[in-house]
Amino acid sequence: MGPKVTPDMPVEDLVRVFPEAVGFLTKKGIRCIRCGEPLWCTIGELLEEEAVPDPKNMLDELNEFLNP
Amino acid sequence: MKGILEKLQIKEFNIGACAGPDDWYEDPAGEEIVSYNPTTGEPIAKVIQATEKTYEQVLKQSVESFKNWRMIPAPKRGLIVRDLGEALREKKEPLGDLVTLEMGKIKAEGHGEVQEMIDICDFALGLSRQLYGLSMHSERPAHRMYEQWHPLGAVGVITAFNFPVAVWAWNAAIAAACGDTTVWKPSSDTPLTAVAVQHIANRVMADHGLKGIFSIAIGRGAVVGEHMINDPRLPLISFTGSTRMGRRVSEAVARRFGRTILELGGNNAVIVSGDADLDMAVRTILFGAVGTAGQRCTSTRRIIMHRSIASELSDRLVNAYKQVVIGDPLEEGTLMGPLVTKGAVEDMMAALEKAQEQGGEILCGGNRLPDRGERFVEPTIVKMPGQTEIVHIETFAPILYLIEYDDIEEGIRLHNEVPQGLSSAIFTTNLLTAETFLSHAGSDCGIANVNIGTSGAEIGGAFGGEKETGGGRESGSDAWKGYMRRQTNTINWSKELPLAQGIKFGD
Repeated sequence: MGPKVTPDMPVEDLVRVFPEAVGFLTKKGIRCIRCGEPLWCTIGELLEEEAVPDPKNMLDELNEFLNP
Repeated sequence: MKGILEKLQIKEFNIGACAGPDDWYEDPAGEEIVSYNPTTGEPIAKVIQATEKTYEQVLKQSVESFKNWRMIPAPKRGLIVRDLGEALREKKEPLGDLVTLEMGKIKAEGHGEVQEMIDICDFALGLSRQLYGLSMHSERPAHRMYEQWHPLGAVGVITAFNFPVAVWAWNAAIAAACGDTTVWKPSSDTPLTAVAVQHIANRVMADHGLKGIFSIAIGRGAVVGEHMINDPRLPLISFTGSTRMGRRVSEAVARRFGRTILELGGNNAVIVSGDADLDMAVRTILFGAVGTAGQRCTSTRRIIMHRSIASELSDRLVNAYKQVVIGDPLEEGTLMGPLVTKGAVEDMMAALEKAQEQGGEILCGGNRLPDRGERFVEPTIVKMPGQTEIVHIETFAPILYLIEYDDIEEGIRLHNEVPQGLSSAIFTTNLLTAETFLSHAGSDCGIANVNIGTSGAEIGGAFGGEKETGGGRESGSDAWKGYMRRQTNTINWSKELPLAQGIKFGD
């Protein structure tokens, strides 16, 4: 079991540690990278800004994708 | 690689906070950031990021230095900027190579970027004698009225990975001529080029007994970036990056009534009319869409082509794309290097999937190139049935969308339909079509060209765009005014006290 993505993880760290997360989230309409640069917020803040209805479930899905 | 780094004083560990030759600030609490070579995926060197404490040290010095710098006559400041240009000329070769090594653009582009730094220093030298204000005729007798431009203060400069040194120079050289000091937060993907530039600037400052004119604070956006945009000691923030981040920067700076210069996303199109010279159009589109691996703000992302030439243009573009040599950007002959990060590759692939879901047909490319490295991709052309949702989004990768139109009004409508407004171009041999494109009813972008592409701007013009591109202007023309404060002065040289508008008060 590798490291997990938590809501307080900065997006800047997420895209460095788990670059595969970028594609997973983009396909769900959540873009972590804009103009090639990661956003400055945390993943939790990003999901909130994107009005993801169930952020916890989204993170669970992401973690499952990253660590099947 | 070692030779390049040594020539630029880059060590295995570098400090990311500095305000002058003897003012490198290190905090044991500072986290390391590793800079990777996108071509090989191997680490190049490390930088100790700025912390709250070292950011504060940098800011204090920058603000303090401003008090002296603003009092040096502008033409003398210009001479010091000229010396910066000379120092950059001396280091053009290794610095250009480092840009290529750390960011992945081809060598010619890396060296071209340093040339742009040199050019803007030359421009700033001339500008230092031309910071003109207007004089007005007063409506009151024996009164003189004029405006003058004063330095603004310490300026925050936040730049992106794709032009890791030129955008700093656009800001820093002009700001310095204007009497401002600058604090630079570069991209976390390209920290070494910033350290190298700081060493060069330090040498120039040392020669003149100065410090704090040019400073760096390398660190995460969430730490250094947030501090800068919320810091009232920085009256101006010049930000280059995405629309999403630009909105955040703009809101934070506006809350404290600071100023911003925003250079945000682009979604640049070339309209190719039925009468266009297709030889010129193909060569230009290739450079615009594939150059810097499609990672320029001004990269060509959309081709809006007249139906009568659509088939021929598509075929010729596909053929041109097949000739593109992809590989190590430091090698001669390479036309396209890697994307900057693995995340950027993922972003591109996800966008292509969406384009296909929305009816797009990939005419060429579309694949990763794992044999060359995990950040290499094929430049891709996608024929779209119309301007769908994905085409409205800027994906920072070599994806080119092809769309057809029937008449110029429709072409311009499609062109202006996207939310971004940076750069635009038309290929036509018809004067009326060209002028229509440049007219009030034509392109809504900050840059509009005829028979040249969307990318490759010169420093002499003001660079920036409209709508979600942010409205800021950097570099040439009168962009310098954004780095100064205007003061209107009225001087009464009579013995009377006449009021404006003929008002009598207590006479």
